Amino acid sequence: MSFEPKIVGFLCNWCSYRGADLAGTARMKCAPNVRIIRVMCSGRVEPAFIVKAFQLGADGVLVLGCHPGDCHYAEGNYKTIRRMSLLQKMLPQLGIETDRVRLDWVSASEGDRFVSIVDDMTEKVRALGPFTKNSDEEKHG
Amino acid sequence: MEEVKIGIYVCHCGLNIADIVDVEEVTKYATTLPAVVVSRNYKFMCSDPGQNMIKEDIKELGLNRVVVASCSPLMHEPTFRRTIQEAGVNPYLFEMANIREHCSWITEDHKAATEKAKALVSAAVRRVYYHQPLEIKEVPVNPNTLIIGGGIAGIQAALEIADSEHKVYLVERDPSIGGHMIQFDKTFPTLDCSACILTPKMTSVGMHPYIELMTYSEVEEISGFVGSFKARIRKKARYVDEDKCNGCGVCVTKCPWKANSEFDLGLSERKAIYTPFAQAVPNIPVIDTEHCAYFLKEKCRACEKFCELGAIDFEQVDQIVEVEVGNIIVTTGYDSFDPTPITQYGYGKFDNVYTGLEFERICNAVGPTSGKIVLKDGSEPKSVAILHCVGSRDENYHEYCSRVCCMYALKYSHLIKERTDAEVYQMYIDMRCFGKGYEEFYKRLSEEGVNFIRGKVAEVTDRAINEDEQGKLIVCGEDTLLCKTIRVPVDMVILATALEPRSDAAEVAKLLTITQSADGFFLERHPKLDPVATMTDGVFIAGCCQGPKDIPDAVAQASAAATRVLALISKGRVELEAATAVIDEEKCSGCRICNLLCPYSAISFIEDEKVSRINEALCKGCGTCVAACPSAAITHRQFTMEEITAEIEGVLV
Amino acid sequence: MEVLSPYKEATDVILEAGGEPLKLCYQCGLCTGICPWNLVRSFLVRRIMHEAQLGAIDFGGEDVWTCVTCRACVQRCPRGVEIINVMRAMRRAVASLGIGVVPDALRISAKNIAGVGNPLGEEAEKRNDWAKDLKVKNFASGTEILYFPCCVPSYDPDVKTVARSTATIFNKLKIDYGLIGTEAKCCGEAIRKAGYEDTFQSLAQNNINLFTSNGVKTVVVSSPHCYHTFKNEYPELGGKFEVIHITQYLASLIEQGKLKLSKEINKKVIYSDPCYLGRHNDVYDEPREILQSIPGLELIEFPDARENGLCCGGGGGRIWMDTPKGERFSDIRVEQAVEKGADIIAVACPYCVLNYRDSVLSMGKAETIQVKDISELVAEAI
Repeated sequence: MSFEPKIVGFLCNWCSYRGADLAGTARMKCAPNVRIIRVMCSGRVEPAFIVKAFQLGADGVLVLGCHPGDCHYAEGNYKTIRRMSLLQKMLPQLGIETDRVRLDWVSASEGDRFVSIVDDMTEKVRALGPFTKNSDEEKHG
Repeated sequence: MEEVKIGIYVCHCGLNIADIVDVEEVTKYATTLPAVVVSRNYKFMCSDPGQNMIKEDIKELGLNRVVVASCSPLMHEPTFRRTIQEAGVNPYLFEMANIREHCSWITEDHKAATEKAKALVSAAVRRVYYHQPLEIKEVPVNPNTLIIGGGIAGIQAALEIADSEHKVYLVERDPSIGGHMIQFDKTFPTLDCSACILTPKMTSVGMHPYIELMTYSEVEEISGFVGSFKARIRKKARYVDEDKCNGCGVCVTKCPWKANSEFDLGLSERKAIYTPFAQAVPNIPVIDTEHCAYFLKEKCRACEKFCELGAIDFEQVDQIVEVEVGNIIVTTGYDSFDPTPITQYGYGKFDNVYTGLEFERICNAVGPTSGKIVLKDGSEPKSVAILHCVGSRDENYHEYCSRVCCMYALKYSHLIKERTDAEVYQMYIDMRCFGKGYEEFYKRLSEEGVNFIRGKVAEVTDRAINEDEQGKLIVCGEDTLLCKTIRVPVDMVILATALEPRSDAAEVAKLLTITQSADGFFLERHPKLDPVATMTDGVFIAGCCQGPKDIPDAVAQASAAATRVLALISKGRVELEAATAVIDEEKCSGCRICNLLCPYSAISFIEDEKVSRINEALCKGCGTCVAACPSAAITHRQFTMEEITAEIEGVLV
Repeated sequence: MEVLSPYKEATDVILEAGGEPLKLCYQCGLCTGICPWNLVRSFLVRRIMHEAQLGAIDFGGEDVWTCVTCRACVQRCPRGVEIINVMRAMRRAVASLGIGVVPDALRISAKNIAGVGNPLGEEAEKRNDWAKDLKVKNFASGTEILYFPCCVPSYDPDVKTVARSTATIFNKLKIDYGLIGTEAKCCGEAIRKAGYEDTFQSLAQNNINLFTSNGVKTVVVSSPHCYHTFKNEYPELGGKFEVIHITQYLASLIEQGKLKLSKEINKKVIYSDPCYLGRHNDVYDEPREILQSIPGLELIEFPDARENGLCCGGGGGRIWMDTPKGERFSDIRVEQAVEKGADIIAVACPYCVLNYRDSVLSMGKAETIQVKDISELVAEAI
């Protein structure tokens, strides 16, 4: 059986979660691998959540927010961008390939975009294989 | 703390969930989760028997936490919160697992769906374990309303709210209210005169004691939230004193300077001081500084000389007005599609190729031709072709159907038949006559002898290939029913142009923190069940800014939006977000990072105590400050570190 | 009443090639209305799309072979249907499944291409003979530019001047260029559109291997058809090199001041946009820029130019098929050019050169008007 990655998705309540709902409502088919945790704003997503997810067995983490400029809370997602770009730099030190973490934007009307991001992310993580701290430690020696 | 007792309820949603997800297995699995006392499944959890099941379990088993695994929380979270509240449990001790939209509807893989459903249930259970009861606080609603856009939708909404004796600020950027509807000649399918049915409403708005009309004005900034918004409005200088002017019009008559009339879409001229049309509300002219000789060359001032009331004021400047309102209705309307890019239709190249809106003005008794349907040379057309779907149903321009073009095309056919002897050709793809009385109108036009040709026109050309075509516009395309390419020589071509989002819709959306759908129109909260609300509480949309629609639909939406506003005013208070952030002042180091991050300026620094504090009435619960606090001193209620960690653990089982 | 009985296998081929967009066709008929064939005869593109949707195509009929793949319809289709792909798939079904008849002329050209690598049936060894007396070196690793003239200018005695003019210009400007060995074969663009997918695949593979093993980085082509397939179709098959059409190359040389056109051509010149340069690849300005920098030359335009330009009739394999007099687009074009008072029809495609020269001769207009490739005009003006 092929490896089915477990991906934790942090989705903001106002845009991305609704986009994900729309994908379902429109019966678009997508990889079932992303398990969604709803937060009010992508600005709530602490880097610690992401690290925690990997510690608890996630193979990938997807953070989706409103498009920049469209944030329900005016500018929360700009904070997310800054925070995530810092985290991206730290990932290799933590033994996490940068492709395992993705920040993207999905508006409430973009069910199709949600599907393509999820499918793409699932494929990428599937290609990377399961996340194991050990194997990575070996790699980074 | 009392012992946590969790009840799990897995919904079949008919077959929506149960067809893909093995609900029995999920139910059985749930019993293995910590603190779970009972786990059941049922056909429709949202039904009365479903809700009663929960209530009875709360009573009999002493449940103090509930998880429902069903649809999106955006659908039924309020329902179930109410259910447990009725049974005496704090509504925030509840969690939903979305096993429909995010699970059964996106895959056909039974096994994967069941596994995912289990994970989502496990996450909800682990998270609900840590939920704390929250108190719902309320703030009063300012009973004033701001309406942006004075077309038919804005007018309708304003009158409905004002008639209930609540104050409305109606802001319109043009010199008069009336919108597109006042430009129309007749309205389909009843053929009422558009002005005849609209001007009484416009007059009512102008005179209404509860409506403060601000024309030639634009909203520049919105702050606050439902119940207490603040709006900054720029009243552009008219250079005419509204208090002194009595609308006599002498200034307009005497003004020697001319410019293209916006109202007639450039088909006629107006003066440099003008009211856009005779029945303008308010009937107070404005000076167009780009064409007024005084503003251009510092001479003339004819209007000033002739105004006996001394109402002309060249020194007037823009005014900034601030108003406080509880709700906002956006009725900013649409733009008419410019067909110039479709070069093969010859708009702008040939005389006598008109857009739909231009033809409205041509038909109008006070329009550029005084209602005579004539060609540029003044003669009557012997034949007219109306091309459907220009800019609509075409992925090169707008993918959507503009909904009104078929009907206005039929209306034009009628007007042409009524006023001329011309042959009329309708070049359509599909006739969409969906409304009340619309199909009947289509039938009537068939009886009137209009020629219907099925096929999208490929080209309008003036290159004649025989005598009959000389001097004509030749409309070329396939008659798809005849399976023949045809050339139809006509004198006039009307392009049934699309309705498109306002060119500045993106800026308006940003101003109001509302969103646009893929087509650019404003996005409603729910396409079917919440069509006039937006994702921002207290901001409603109505009319064509939400999508192309006809007058009855625009009016219905406007009334709906007014009703929503009146309901909030009538209740008088709104619930505040309960899941707010709170600062543990013991832990707060006073670094003030959060102060700057908060988009609502809800966090202030208490100088005396050297700590930050959150104003709960202002906090909207986004959690941005929580994530940023270097001392981990801020807790996001319902989204605590503990809760989210538990949820992460849950989804990864 | 007719029974609707789709030919399943063929329908699948077409659906696969037409892809999802074919299903989206909503039968508005815009394609038929735009299609240039309807200037001269009836050709109901819309009906073919409907037949394709239902699997009810008449594979024995002549409609299968009619489309010139000029892209006028695709460019404006409101639903984005890849009509050319559908046409190509129908032909493929006939050519590979044998459920219809391939026109004789096409069959011969296809056989020639598969056999000797050029549609004219000439010997492969003679591919570079046109350049014999011009001292053009063979491409070797490190040569800056590969010049690939297309089979027609390589072999056709009337069109050789296109390749020879190009070489003359390059020689004068001392450009570091060369010709690839005679193992080179037809680019395959047109034979692919004519339904011979396997032939195309083997031609493409041959050329890709040849170019790659010789270290080709930049190819300059005379034919928009070579340009199209090298640029848009070869990369998927592993052929990745910079592709430049001669008009783009010459225009850039003029802009850089390296190419100076000093001799006057005091003529009225009308430019005909080749479909594969214009509509297929959005190159409209460079050919005009070149013509405008020739001293004395007055550039005029056809009533339908650029995006709306009329096809010469030679695309989609039609260059090898017979088009009866009265149905030739190039005749219409020549008439329009004469009406406009043009002395020269300028083109930038060997197929256009062939078709327009034929038309001028058969219409007896040789005294009135000439047909020239832009490279020929530049060679005269340099």
